Amino acid sequence: MGIQILLHIGIVMILSPLLLGIIGKTKAFFAGRWGPPLLQPYYDIGKLFQKGNVYSITTTWIFQAAPIVCLAVVLVSSFFIPLGGLKAPIQFWGDIILFAYLYGLARFLMMIAALDTGSSFEGMGASREAAFSCLAEVVLFLDFIILALLSKKFVLSEIIEGNILSSWPLFGPVLLLVGASYFLVLLVENARIPIDDPAIHLELTMIHEVMALDHSGWDLAYIYYGGAIKLFVLGGLFVNILIPYHSLSSVMQTVMFSGGMIMLALTIGIVESCMARLRLNRIPLLLISAFVLALVGGIVVLVKGV
Amino acid sequence: MTDYFLSSLVLLSISAVLIVLTSRFQKISGGIFLFSLGTGCVLGLISAVSVLVHRVPIDYRLDFRMPIGEFYVGVDLLSAFFLLTIVMLSLFAGIYGYGYLKDDEKKNLSVHYALYLVLLISLMLVVTAKNAVLFLVAWETMAISSYFLITFDDEKEAVRKAGYLYLIATHTGTFCLWVMFLLMGQQAGSMNFDQMTLASFPLPLAGVLFILGIIGFGVKAGFIPFHIWLPHAHPAAPSHVSAVLSGVMIKMGIYGLMRLILIVKNFPEWCAMVLLMIGMISGVGGVLYALGQHEIKKLLAYHSIENIGIITLGLGIGLWGQIDHNEAVALIGYAGALLHVFNHAIFKGLLFLSAGSVIRSTHTGEIDHLGGLLKKLPWAGHLFLIGSLSICGLPLFNGFISEWLVFRALFDGVFHFETNALVFSSLAIISLALIGGLATACFAKAFGAIFLGNSRSIDNTHLEENSSLMRAPMLVLGGLCLWVGFFPSTMVSFALGAASTIASLKISPMAEEAIISPLLTVVWVLMILVTIITVLVLFKRIAMKFLPIEKAPTWGCGYSMPTNRMQYTASSFAEPILRIFRNVLGFNVTGNKPQGYFPKEEAISSHVIDASEDFIFRPIFQFIKSLSAKLKIIQFGVTQLYLLYIFIFLLILLIWKMV
Repeated sequence: MGIQILLHIGIVMILSPLLLGIIGKTKAFFAGRWGPPLLQPYYDIGKLFQKGNVYSITTTWIFQAAPIVCLAVVLVSSFFIPLGGLKAPIQFWGDIILFAYLYGLARFLMMIAALDTGSSFEGMGASREAAFSCLAEVVLFLDFIILALLSKKFVLSEIIEGNILSSWPLFGPVLLLVGASYFLVLLVENARIPIDDPAIHLELTMIHEVMALDHSGWDLAYIYYGGAIKLFVLGGLFVNILIPYHSLSSVMQTVMFSGGMIMLALTIGIVESCMARLRLNRIPLLLISAFVLALVGGIVVLVKGV
Repeated sequence: MTDYFLSSLVLLSISAVLIVLTSRFQKISGGIFLFSLGTGCVLGLISAVSVLVHRVPIDYRLDFRMPIGEFYVGVDLLSAFFLLTIVMLSLFAGIYGYGYLKDDEKKNLSVHYALYLVLLISLMLVVTAKNAVLFLVAWETMAISSYFLITFDDEKEAVRKAGYLYLIATHTGTFCLWVMFLLMGQQAGSMNFDQMTLASFPLPLAGVLFILGIIGFGVKAGFIPFHIWLPHAHPAAPSHVSAVLSGVMIKMGIYGLMRLILIVKNFPEWCAMVLLMIGMISGVGGVLYALGQHEIKKLLAYHSIENIGIITLGLGIGLWGQIDHNEAVALIGYAGALLHVFNHAIFKGLLFLSAGSVIRSTHTGEIDHLGGLLKKLPWAGHLFLIGSLSICGLPLFNGFISEWLVFRALFDGVFHFETNALVFSSLAIISLALIGGLATACFAKAFGAIFLGNSRSIDNTHLEENSSLMRAPMLVLGGLCLWVGFFPSTMVSFALGAASTIASLKISPMAEEAIISPLLTVVWVLMILVTIITVLVLFKRIAMKFLPIEKAPTWGCGYSMPTNRMQYTASSFAEPILRIFRNVLGFNVTGNKPQGYFPKEEAISSHVIDASEDFIFRPIFQFIKSLSAKLKIIQFGVTQLYLLYIFIFLLILLIWKMV
């Protein structure tokens, strides 16, 4: 199991910034530009790793602990999902809850790290993050309930393997609804357009990025890297739900999974190119619509019976 | 092992009397208090743990007949679990309280110490009484002693009012309990619990008993909408008393419901439904109200309501499992509820004690006045952080273990139940997820505003850390949070033992193993998490040797003259969430925006209205008040006249009997 875990960590760490590169290229294509190279996120993170740190005199150790815990948490969360031909190294009855609550731990630390600086902008970001993420968590759990209902399993990797496959013919529309609502959660959790724009630099309108305003050097590198891995892990879960590839040979599984991930990055890029950021007070409505989508799926499951 | 428990009771009672007798000499009475508290709690702990380990209940009957009951106490597994919780928290809160008060020269502390012991004795009796009358006597002693503990600072009007409200609320509850126990006694032909357990209760009667129990015990536990006394009484009391009230006393309501389930056994299905509903409303409502609070102890008090909600969710799904004859759901649900009772006692105790340290040092509990205390009060600060992480149910800490059990029972419910129960369990899962998210927000707000950043209005420079007598108990409680978080098997197995008693089931070691083993995997994953964190820290440490580190002020985003008052406050932090839920909460903001190029001074304030207080109970109390005002015509305050009333009443009774 040790080797499996190391393999998972390795793959996730090596491949995740690529996803951001693809998104960047897609956006550039839609804007009619060449855009930064595909490997730009690697260069960015590498550059940050060479820089020293500036710490605010107001901060305590919490400010430095948060980026580390965030990166560690996203790495651990990748253990629960299969990556193509690779099985999930850790599976146990009820791992869904640990999966969701680990992100809670990271979020809590990021919020208090933001408050640690005493900057009102960072406090504002933390406050918005708190408000939107608690709604997103509700949607996430509703999605989990429906998937668990379909598979009668309470283990994340078992829910998405095999059982999804048998549900597709009967409950295809339900899975599409769940997929759509999960996609919105994915956008919220990873601070993408239309919820948050990672590219803008106007503090008043930012959510996620503003919390990292005072971080620099290694801390910022950890945060960026953690963000990339989070997108990879949550995206990987999305691909696993939507593409029922689990009965194929392991080589084909890997091919399908990689294809799915590239498609996901392209989709996010297209969404970001075609949409503007929503006004802040519209975001709860978006999350409520995600909730309703999942709810409709849930009702269909209930009426049709499993 | 009965000897240990009884000697603990006797020791505590004798010391309470001795403390009052030596009240002239505060040093001596303080010493007696500490000694008897320590010894009594350790004795109680030994008897509780030995029952939980060996799983053999103990009984003790004293041949002492009261008018309608007898002195019959026994420690079964359920009692033992609660006994464990009570002595654990009371011991540490008591030591802290001694350190908290000992320099207070104006008050007679001996009476306070004695009352604290009386509260402890009555709590121990409530959970071990095996006779309804003895139970009610202990219940009433608990209510009255805690009333006097709450009104310690009785020179303040708010404290007196809070105490009065508590007294009314608790007696309303006790009234329902009397009716409930009398009905049960009538059905069973005895007021002893073991005889009641043997009796069978028809379903309609069980429903009536359940309603009475929900009101009677719910007032104590703080179910919404019966919670109105709680956010007033808990902040009014001294911090160590708040810790005991919030940590164990309100749990007596939960204990009562569990005992009721144990005795009656067979309930109609809607009872489980009602419990789940109460759990959801109290859980989500409690944490939303907490978000709207600006005072630290009031915030913590509302969080107690939230946690009671989580406990009730576990209890409700457990009851549903029991009704549906699904043993696994029943056991895991009850065990989750029980473990959360223990965990909440530990972390809420810790939070109240560290909040108390803050209040003692800064003389204020207003969150928006504080800030930057982590540097000045590192002990209180770091322990408050551990408490916050635990209460949010985040992994690595004890709250996660019990919430995991409740979640698991609810998910099992989703798999095994019919449509009705399935919908309710799904709703409960969603509420629990929402509670988790909101609690995280609320404690990020509380911890961030009090301990991080810079102080907003208070001068922090001369603050000093509190005495070690106050720090040591907090440290132990913090350690317990981590202990349960990393080594859950002991407490989970204790909770499962007590859960099997409630459900009147036998649990095989195999089944127990199946429930505990996923939790051990959780711990294993957390170990990996800790390892990865260590590796990342090491990498950074090494890199930092070669890279420059600078210190600078926080970046003001281009604004060059930021002041501490410009930091984000706790109220502004909570505003977006409160705005989303404004229709449920009655969240209103009053004040004007600054106008023109040279604006005049403007003020803005935000409030959250507790609907059940303002729209349900205030009108009821007003109605009762106006009704009793009408009764004033017969009140003259002349003793002879009242004697005449009694005489007339007796006469009427006599005539009624003759006719």
